[in-house]
Amino acid sequence: MIELMRKMLNFYRNKMFRYFSGIWRSRYFWMHLALSDLRSRWRRSFLGALWSIIQPLGMTALLAIVFSKMFNTDITTYAPYVLSGIIVWEFIAASVTGGSLSFVQADAYIKQCRHPLAIYTLRTVLGSSAVLFMASLALYGWVIIVMPENIGWTWLASLTIFPMVLVIAWPMATLLAYIGVRFRDIPHAAGLALQALWFVSPVYFEAKMFRSGGMDFLVDYNPVYHILQLIRAPLLQGEWPTWENYMYSILLALAFSLIAWLMGRKSEAKVIFYL
Amino acid sequence: MKHPSIVFESVNLQYSSVAFKERSLKALLSHVLQGKRKQADVQDVHALKNISLTIKEGERVGLLGHNGAGKSTFLKTAAGLYPISSGNVQVEGQVRSLFDLSLGFEPDATGRENILYRGLLLGLSPAFMREKEAEIVEFAGLGEFIDYPMKTYSAGMQVRLAFSISTTVGGDILLLDEVIGAGDANFMEKAKRRITDLVEQADILVLASHDFVSLKRLCERGLVLHRGELVFDGEMSEAIFEYRRINNIG
Repeated sequence: MIELMRKMLNFYRNKMFRYFSGIWRSRYFWMHLALSDLRSRWRRSFLGALWSIIQPLGMTALLAIVFSKMFNTDITTYAPYVLSGIIVWEFIAASVTGGSLSFVQADAYIKQCRHPLAIYTLRTVLGSSAVLFMASLALYGWVIIVMPENIGWTWLASLTIFPMVLVIAWPMATLLAYIGVRFRDIPHAAGLALQALWFVSPVYFEAKMFRSGGMDFLVDYNPVYHILQLIRAPLLQGEWPTWENYMYSILLALAFSLIAWLMGRKSEAKVIFYL
Repeated sequence: MKHPSIVFESVNLQYSSVAFKERSLKALLSHVLQGKRKQADVQDVHALKNISLTIKEGERVGLLGHNGAGKSTFLKTAAGLYPISSGNVQVEGQVRSLFDLSLGFEPDATGRENILYRGLLLGLSPAFMREKEAEIVEFAGLGEFIDYPMKTYSAGMQVRLAFSISTTVGGDILLLDEVIGAGDANFMEKAKRRITDLVEQADILVLASHDFVSLKRLCERGLVLHRGELVFDGEMSEAIFEYRRINNIG
């Protein structure tokens, strides 16, 4: 029995190793795709990449003015809170909607060449990560000016959000792409689901608002909150993120990976028929 | 020493009908409301039926068959793109394929940039592609057009560039699907020489075409496919004769 399990484990480990070495072998290709996405995004605009910084900043200015009046909060601390919410949320939304279309968008390549399909969702997620990184510069800048007392070693922890969101969003985009290639309704449905998730998550609304309403569970068991804390705790509070924040993020990444792998095992080879 | 080969053992391939039936809420509702009557009966397509064959190193094989006979499906199965329903496919060697020309070219980028992009698509490194670039440009013979955007190219020019890339970067098995016909006579001559060279290096060529002239010039072995079945496997001129007989031409 144990012998059999060890054999199975070995079998899957070899398979996984081969899959990832396929991804590594095609690295020049997906890096090129991700870069060319960014180039076409920023091409022919005067400010180019700067737009990724300006846009969330402008949005923050508007929201912060309105919300701080509505909720009676201090604008200097609330504005960076909103900004961190906007940029991470934009990343999540782009990974969900872009991810569900990743295979459909890459049909020309999928029909020509045999690469592991996960490279096409990786391309999408890398693109949105680059945008997130650009946008986060605005956040760092803002906090340095407005809350210099928070600067410290904890800021190192804020950098962990980038690899963390990548390992969460990549399998999530992959599993959405598998569904999206069969049911083209997914981007619409996902848009609706995102909106619902946004309302119950402390993205623009402060966590204490949920807590004062007796809805602690929307904060404590909400992975979106824990992901956001990875960058909020160090920058906005000058604290280390808690081990729970990391726990939730890692568990989420593992859960998505497992589902994506189970789906891919059955349907990866058949994706080409649906394009 | 490399020994490229393609081996098919009683290969069956079915396109499952769910893949091309309309799957939306609208279709589901109309299905419920109108009952089954109005729906055309869409069934699984049996695209390759019990195909067994072996292609060994140095062979130049031509595929014949009317539209929908299974030529492209055969090539894509050999390239490992399509999952087979039953049987066994074994392909030894690096496959280079040329299926649809416009696919994978970026129309806004220049021909030279597209050489790099296509190389990357094939899984090659930028350094390797820079090394091969001059040779590819030289063989394609597009003159100053190599620095023009791809959208200005004619079909024939695209073929020249694509063929030049696919045959220059190296690989053991070259699969071509009806693309070669778009080149002019001058280029066909060059292409033939290039293919002959490749075959001398023990590479394999499989070409699907409706053009008997180029098939006869380039290939010595002919396969005739008819409704997913392999009905003839032998010398090229006999294959052309057989193909004509089956389809009642001349």
